Amino acid sequence: MDENVTTAVLEEWVRTFATLIEQNRDYLTELDAAIGDADHGSNMDRGMKAAVAALDDAALTTAGALFTKVGMTLVSTVGGASGPLFGTFFLRMGASFGDSDTASPRDFAAALRAGLGGVVARGKAEPGDKTMYDALAPAVDALDLALEAQSQLATGLKAARDAAATGRDATTPMLARKGRASYLGERSVGHQDPGATTVALLLEAATESSF
Amino acid sequence: MTDGQADPAAAPGAGGHNVGLVVVSHSRVLARAAVALAAEMLHGRPVRIEVAAGLDDTTFGTDAVRIKEAVERADNPSGVVVLMDLGSAVLSAELALDLIADPSIRDRVTLSPAPIVEGLIVAAVAAAGGASSAEVAAEARGALLGKAAQLSPRPGPGGPEPGLVPAEEIVGVFTVENLHGLHARPAARLVSEVSGLDASVQLRNLTNGAGPVPAASLSRVATLAALLGHEVEVRASGPQAHEAVEHLLTLAKRRFDEPGDTTTHEQAAGSPGSVHGPLPASPGIGYGPARRLTPAPLAPDSTAVGEPSAEWRRIVESVAAVRREIEHVRVLTSRELGAQEASIFDAHLSLLGDTEMLADVKARIGAGAGAVAAWAGCLADVERLWASLPDLYLRERAEDVRAVSEQVLRALTGEPTQHTSASGVLIARDLTPAEAAALDTDVVTGVVLAQGSPTSHAAILARARDIPMVVAAGRDVLNVPEGTTVVLDGTTGELHVDPSPELLQQFGHRAGELADRRRQQLAAAEQPAVSLDGTSFAVAANIGSGADARTAFAAGADGAGLVRTEFLFLGRSIAPRLDEQRAYYEAIAEAMSGRRITLRTLDVGGDKPLPYLPMPAEANPFLGRRGIRLSLDHRDLLRDQLVAVCETARGFPTSVMFPMVATLGELLEARQVLADAAGPAGLPDGLKVGMMVEVPAAALKIETFLPHLDFVSIGTNDLTQYTLAAERGNGSVAVLSDALDPGVLLLIDRVCRAAARDRVDVAVCGEAASDELAIPVLVGLGVRELSVSPSAVPRVKETIRQLDTRRCRPLAQQALTLAGADDVRKLVLAMGSEATG
Repeated sequence: MDENVTTAVLEEWVRTFATLIEQNRDYLTELDAAIGDADHGSNMDRGMKAAVAALDDAALTTAGALFTKVGMTLVSTVGGASGPLFGTFFLRMGASFGDSDTASPRDFAAALRAGLGGVVARGKAEPGDKTMYDALAPAVDALDLALEAQSQLATGLKAARDAAATGRDATTPMLARKGRASYLGERSVGHQDPGATTVALLLEAATESSF
Repeated sequence: MTDGQADPAAAPGAGGHNVGLVVVSHSRVLARAAVALAAEMLHGRPVRIEVAAGLDDTTFGTDAVRIKEAVERADNPSGVVVLMDLGSAVLSAELALDLIADPSIRDRVTLSPAPIVEGLIVAAVAAAGGASSAEVAAEARGALLGKAAQLSPRPGPGGPEPGLVPAEEIVGVFTVENLHGLHARPAARLVSEVSGLDASVQLRNLTNGAGPVPAASLSRVATLAALLGHEVEVRASGPQAHEAVEHLLTLAKRRFDEPGDTTTHEQAAGSPGSVHGPLPASPGIGYGPARRLTPAPLAPDSTAVGEPSAEWRRIVESVAAVRREIEHVRVLTSRELGAQEASIFDAHLSLLGDTEMLADVKARIGAGAGAVAAWAGCLADVERLWASLPDLYLRERAEDVRAVSEQVLRALTGEPTQHTSASGVLIARDLTPAEAAALDTDVVTGVVLAQGSPTSHAAILARARDIPMVVAAGRDVLNVPEGTTVVLDGTTGELHVDPSPELLQQFGHRAGELADRRRQQLAAAEQPAVSLDGTSFAVAANIGSGADARTAFAAGADGAGLVRTEFLFLGRSIAPRLDEQRAYYEAIAEAMSGRRITLRTLDVGGDKPLPYLPMPAEANPFLGRRGIRLSLDHRDLLRDQLVAVCETARGFPTSVMFPMVATLGELLEARQVLADAAGPAGLPDGLKVGMMVEVPAAALKIETFLPHLDFVSIGTNDLTQYTLAAERGNGSVAVLSDALDPGVLLLIDRVCRAAARDRVDVAVCGEAASDELAIPVLVGLGVRELSVSPSAVPRVKETIRQLDTRRCRPLAQQALTLAGADDVRKLVLAMGSEATG
């Protein structure tokens, strides 16, 4: 519980996330085709590839700089609503870490919650709106809960991943109330939300990284 | 790199103090198109519009960083308003604000929820107007209101909520700016405008509470008693409700096309002591016993009342006959005096087409009345209504009703309009055009009017019919007892009541001389017009109908130099059919017995819209869509007319010319339509193609037109108006509008020189062609054909026979160097004896 989270492992998480996105690109796009504009997979893949390239070019030593870089890159390269949403998520995480050289598991959890706050502020999403919030909020809660219970960060991240997956699956019967899917009204029901799916991948990536 | 674009319409570096705008969209193409649309509204006024749209030219997406940069570029102390499309555009724009480091910039940025296209256009206009960023944002927010109102559901079958304006009703208000209020003429113009539109329009006088009345009914509109300064509400519904309100408001601003100088005319006509008069109005000596115009009393209709349908048919036929009669006089007056003088006839015609009034007549017939009783009863009611109006001027317009009413009654009963029992000089207060037209030249030796003016309809008609006339003689002449000897000289304006024997003898001598001269001219009219030096001239006639053609032929016209085809097109609800047109043209050609006729294609404009050629009200119809401009917009109509022309040309010597040509493109297009109309056989042999030169630009560019022409005809009336920028019908500037102004002569000179090089014939068909002082100048410039009113043909021929073209040439060249028309007239007078040898 005292082990610090290194910038290297945070970068590993980002890169793993990029890999998962690449592997799931067509799946994500397929999900988006059902209720959106069929670009979520390719948008996120473009954005994360750009983020990885930016990380390749820059030797970032602090978590704050790392996530700000990722956030700004996503903002400029994703294109769709995921750009400002995931961009804000990472930017807020970066801001949460600040200039600090070290980060504890609680700092990490706090950064995730700050990221969630950014997503809420940007997207004005509420629980049950069939958005990325529906996967991210339970994941952040699960991590907090795990850390409260003195669990290891890796354990907490597994709980978060499971919560995100549950949240993702819960979006399927929901009626979309935000974003382009909301234009479909009833027809959005029965489809899994692509944004929530990506959040699940983000937490999946965390469990696959060396936290 | 930046994808933000400075709007091309914005002045470079115009970071001034107009609110800056940023357009955020997923699509760069969409954003740029929206900017282009908005730029159209700016007319070069500087508004900085930045675009942050798309990830590149083709990839959809939004980029918060670029939005931030665009905002920073658009920023100025007045602030920035950002318009976005949907989804990520909004999120990215919000994020962009977070990314702006400078809080003072952030604070003056407004993200607008407005729809991107509508919002941007409205915002751009507001920003260009110097509005604050809050105002621009508010304007943009309201951008959908217009569309929403337009598309809001119509009220259900229950009708509109009481007190609410029905959604489809358009309401506007205009202020009457006409000096005499909305009297017959402006009202007629209003009615004719409304009649051409598919809308139901009601008018209410907000100032005196009169109305609402249907705007399509002249008799009802007049009852609004709308005076100068009154506010009139227009309520329109139906498919063209918008147009109706817009047109009426525009028309009202133009004072319903009423001339501005009615006061001078009214004062002159009404002055009891006749400070001016008597004034010469129609040349010639008239003498004889004073006669009064006594309208034949209308005998009671002795015919038995027939079936209602038969009685109604009598009404319809009589109204149609009177309509044709008025139409004829109207065109005559319009030709001689301009459209505005002729506008009183529009009022008369409107009355005849007043559906409310006709419905009342029909109802009376349905209730058992005969045609005469129904008409007289209904019109008497209308006349009474008008006569009871509070305004004096409007009250006097009741006479318009009386005049039209009586004309129809006489058509119904077949009684002559007026009669003078015996030969002599007719003395009257004034003459209606119909009365003037009906004067029997065998009985009336002269006319003296207490009122009137030399430019009145009556004077025009008197000149056309060679009846000597003096006008504005004062009220006292009305007291001259019937039978008293009266002599008048219509050339000088002299008038003597009960003259001495010596005076009478002197006038008799003058009359004899004039009569001799006229006889000689007429006798020689058949002879060609050859000048002293042996140059041959064609003196043709300007005509409009087969009857005119017969008169022209009898007067020795060498052809019809201008056939105004408008006659055939006016006063009807659908265009004349092809066979009707051909019959009309052939009747004219036949009456001219083989002499060439020159048909001018339809020459109308917004001042006299035809029901089947709908035209919006134009702020300045004489500079608007008229002549060939209108014809090229209605090619089927032009083509039909040209088919009829070609068919006529296959049997008779025929020329065709296009009016109001300003550019070569117009001429070539018209020639193309002519080629289509002629069909595969090609243009008929002997068909000559020409154009009117009446737009100064056409005169200046004449060389470009000549290769495509067989002849040109200079319409000096319009050429003068357009060159001097002075309308003939407008008394306050009419003095400027003189064809002898050297500015006009220089244009004619230019046309003649170029045409001579290309061997293209030049004719003059305006009034200058019959002006004794203008003829030597025109001849000197090289004009070889003059087309004049039929009755002027003998005189013009005689004038030419006394000219020597070798002396006219230097005269004309000198005229070109002078300062004004007066100087030219003086020159011609001074050199007259010389020039005429």
